[in-house]
Amino acid sequence: MVEGGRRGGGGGQELERAPTRVDADPEERVLTGLMEGFPSSLSEAKRVRPGLLRARIKREDLYDSCRLLRESLGFEHMSMISAVDYPDRFEVVYHVSSYQNNMTLELITTTPKDDPKVDSVSDIWGGANWQEREAYDLMGITFEGHPKLERILMLKDTLYHPLRKDFRG
Amino acid sequence: MWINMGPQHPMTHGLWNLRIKVDGETIVDAEPEVGYLHRGIEKICENRTFTQVIPITDRLCYGSSMSWSHLYCRSVEDLMGLEVPPRAQYIRVAVLEMQRIASHLMWLAAYAADLGMMAGFIYGMRDREVFVDLLQDLTGSRLTYNYPRVGGVSHDVPPGWDKDALRACDYMEQRLREYEDIYEGSKIFMMRNVGVGVLKRDLAMNLGVTGPPMRASGAKYDLRKDRPYEAYDEMDFQVCSRTEGDCFARYRVRMDEMWESCRIIRQAVQKMPKGEWRVVAPRNAPAGTGVAMVEDPRGEGMMYVVGDGTDRPYRLKIRSPIFVTVSAAPQFLVGYKIADVVAIMGGLDMCIGENDR
Amino acid sequence: MNLYEFCNIIIVWLVDLVNNLWYWLGDFLPWVFGDFFTWAGDLAASDGHIAAMTILLEVLVVLIVAIVNVLNFIWLDRKLSGRIFDFYGPYYVGYRIGGWLQNIADGMKLFVKEIITPKDVDRLGFVLAPVIFVSSSFLILATIPLSPNFGVSTNMDGDFVAAGVLFAFAAFAIAPFSILLAGWSSNNKYTLIGGMRSAAQMMSYEIPLLLVVASVFLLSGDFSFVGVVDAQHDVWFAIPLFIGFIVFLVCIAAEVEVTPFDLPEAEAELVEGWTTEYCGMRFGFFMMTSYLRGYAGGALATALFLGGWQGPALIPDEIWFLIKAYCVFVVIEWMRWSVPRVRVDQILNLGWKRLMPLAMLNLVIAAALKTMGWF
Repeated sequence: MVEGGRRGGGGGQELERAPTRVDADPEERVLTGLMEGFPSSLSEAKRVRPGLLRARIKREDLYDSCRLLRESLGFEHMSMISAVDYPDRFEVVYHVSSYQNNMTLELITTTPKDDPKVDSVSDIWGGANWQEREAYDLMGITFEGHPKLERILMLKDTLYHPLRKDFRG
Repeated sequence: MWINMGPQHPMTHGLWNLRIKVDGETIVDAEPEVGYLHRGIEKICENRTFTQVIPITDRLCYGSSMSWSHLYCRSVEDLMGLEVPPRAQYIRVAVLEMQRIASHLMWLAAYAADLGMMAGFIYGMRDREVFVDLLQDLTGSRLTYNYPRVGGVSHDVPPGWDKDALRACDYMEQRLREYEDIYEGSKIFMMRNVGVGVLKRDLAMNLGVTGPPMRASGAKYDLRKDRPYEAYDEMDFQVCSRTEGDCFARYRVRMDEMWESCRIIRQAVQKMPKGEWRVVAPRNAPAGTGVAMVEDPRGEGMMYVVGDGTDRPYRLKIRSPIFVTVSAAPQFLVGYKIADVVAIMGGLDMCIGENDR
Repeated sequence: MNLYEFCNIIIVWLVDLVNNLWYWLGDFLPWVFGDFFTWAGDLAASDGHIAAMTILLEVLVVLIVAIVNVLNFIWLDRKLSGRIFDFYGPYYVGYRIGGWLQNIADGMKLFVKEIITPKDVDRLGFVLAPVIFVSSSFLILATIPLSPNFGVSTNMDGDFVAAGVLFAFAAFAIAPFSILLAGWSSNNKYTLIGGMRSAAQMMSYEIPLLLVVASVFLLSGDFSFVGVVDAQHDVWFAIPLFIGFIVFLVCIAAEVEVTPFDLPEAEAELVEGWTTEYCGMRFGFFMMTSYLRGYAGGALATALFLGGWQGPALIPDEIWFLIKAYCVFVVIEWMRWSVPRVRVDQILNLGWKRLMPLAMLNLVIAAALKTMGWF
């Protein structure tokens, strides 16, 4: 019904899936690759449910691990960057998606309260650009190396970061 | 010469500002500015209980509020570890696809108006009514439905609703044929669309462009198919994609998605099992995180919810697809004419409510 | 009886009426005033005064007919667009005459709105532009007769001016200057772009338009409307010059800026184009005049290609002319409401690369027809 004609579901090549080996499914391969690359700074790497991995990484190695994810492990897409204000720390949560392996990795990095700084990944994934600006705007996380780290949703001269828990309107 | 297209401009469909630098009529630089509609929804949600948040997430997008409240419910279900009963899954699939058709029709109407085709605007809005009426019969409201619940849906479908849905699908398919004649039969429409705003596949992936614009660029990836949620894995439908990556491909992908949505609604309505439509969700969420991703009409919608053991979300992060897509606007725009701005930005289906949150 | 004679009778009757009073006053009052009143009465009854008053009355009649036609056009446009869009169009104001009074209501609304002149505009150009636009557009109508007996550009014997068609197109071509003036003096980037687009578009569409008109002149051998229409007694020029007719319609659509060619006021990209900064009755004038130019375009197409006022004698000539003009207008409006807008480079490409050669071809066809002695 759909093939052919001008409304063909046609076009659009299938995304090349990574070859599946019997002994290593893609999710295991990603976890192993990450653990081999950053044995000391990676922790709690596990598979939450099919298609969703989770790992914690120290912020010094964040940029390098992201580059590894982008270049070797096939994560083409930065889905979401969330900043969470916990009582004792800030967490920056990167949801990185892989189209070819059909999975999402939840990469969590932690910054202390008094030094909310992480490296910017916006030169690895262009889609991270505005999301980092948003996290800076609302939560006050500084992304070092970002090309234009300005307020995006709030006014330019706002003095506070409204999503922080200590913010009282 | 820098021109501010916005914040109040017919092109913007909302409230944002596209600054373009033009040389004659050609665009040499572009810079979107957003945030005029920032309502602090993420902060508001932190002060509401899980149930109170649902109407607020409805307000995220005036074009497709159902998909946002559904996304929120899914993320909270992930946090609480709830399993949705099958009937609720099928109802959700049906209403989501209705919402998708309504949203795409609104896009089509606005797109036609952008291109100066007033007849297309009226026709799109007219036929959107059919699906809005269906959702109104189901939920009682026309724009912000407040229908999904954590653990299912608010109530069962009314009697006779499934027959109306099937009739609406028949009507819509007939109308879609007419639209294809109106739009693609128009030489001017093709002149304005083919080859305009080309975005290559790899660039689209890297820039985080998702949804119809990405599929129009050649990436055949649809969360409904590749990461099936609800009952989508039991539906027979195709992922619509094109390789050209121009405005016409984006138009075509959305039209094809409407065809597929009609198919999905039929299947969901016909296969809908009997049973419960809601499980009782606990009042308090456990400490932990939940994440859900769905295929919004505009792209990949995600929510990341953090619970701390109370009845309120500790943090709710909303990933708006159009927020990331519009950040890629300079890549679409540079090198084209001023008149192409409306075609390109209109073809992205901007929705400022979810963009600025 | 033509329009001049008709107006002449009215004026003579009016002057007689007033002169009775004058002469009566002259008899009654003291001699100084009496002389004055007798002199005034003689002056009023002189040939020159009667002629001048007659022409003024003629102008008034033609103006009223034009404005009524424009109101009809706007109403027709709204009703037609309503049919195309699947709704009714205006019908509340003047329910029994199909909502015709809606235009009057809109005009009254525009009249009572404040006329704002923005602070940083060039005042002279800003104020002058609507005046030029409106007056030049009415000038077109002054030359177009609805029938040999109904027209204003005649001499006292009722003969039409020799080069009426040329004059009409000359008046048609003034508008781009006023649009550019409006766009430039508004001191707004959108109006500037709109004005520039309008100038480029109108200039490039004048040339094929006038080439087509030249082919009509070639076939008819006359520059006046009466001559052109009389030459179509056997066959309408739309049939031998079919290509030219199509080119003419497209060019007229571009000249009056209806939708596929309404780039100067493309509301999606350039808010309201060159009329962005105008409000109140100034904008009302612009809007009314654009319909007026639509009427003029339809009337020109009728006179040049569709046999003008010729038709079965069942209904009067003037009505025939108006029916044809309305039909042309309806075709243009139909196009307007059902197609998207083209882009600026595409419109110029269309003008220079498609319509120019077609207009040339049309001229060659006209020359061949003339050479073969068929016309």
